[in-house]
Amino acid sequence: MIAIQTGDVDIGALITGAKKKGTGAIVVFDGVVRDDDIREMELEAYEEVAVPELEKIAAEAQAAYHLLSLDIIHRIGRLAIGENILVIVVSAGHRKEAYEGSRFIIEAIKAGVPIWKKELSRNGDRWVLGEHPHGQKPKV
Amino acid sequence: MTIKVRFFARFRELLGTDIVVTAQEGTHLLGLVKKIAEKSREGYDAIFDAKGEFREFVIVMQNGRRVETATAGSTPVTDGDEIAVFPPVAGG
Repeated sequence: MIAIQTGDVDIGALITGAKKKGTGAIVVFDGVVRDDDIREMELEAYEEVAVPELEKIAAEAQAAYHLLSLDIIHRIGRLAIGENILVIVVSAGHRKEAYEGSRFIIEAIKAGVPIWKKELSRNGDRWVLGEHPHGQKPKV
Repeated sequence: MTIKVRFFARFRELLGTDIVVTAQEGTHLLGLVKKIAEKSREGYDAIFDAKGEFREFVIVMQNGRRVETATAGSTPVTDGDEIAVFPPVAGG
């Protein structure tokens, strides 16, 4: 499943669904709202572009790392500290492909998928700066 | 012709979004966005430098495809286009 949504993610169900025939490893990446002295985080996406970008990243990862299954779910809207922001679940025959495939996906998302985060705190609000100015390719 | 311009993140807060404008034939992308941004000094300064060019980090898309900002001054817009303007992405 590839999705951008406001609701939370059932990670357990995704893990169960990832156990395809031939699976030897499942890697779960769960990015959560960190307690950086903030109240909440607000996320925004250009969904009409972000979803196709996620699908493209998924296809590249699946081909390059021989993944047996792959889920990417990115949340938008207001999220409290500790809430899930981004969940990536991949399965593969072996741990190497699963770890590397998961890493490829998160770095590609950070580099080029049009999603933004704003930290809301008592001392004012602040847009989080992108790690890859002008969409530079990540160095994995 | 009618063009929709969408700003995201900080640019959206400063300039609004889903702005539908009527443009003359021969209008280029740079001029179109500049005209809209001029309604807010802070919004204009966030997107354009002192020479009136897109700032280096600004990302521009035309119908979901990236446009090199250096060529935006010679990139024509056409009827029904959706132009998106946003700062570097920060998802994940």
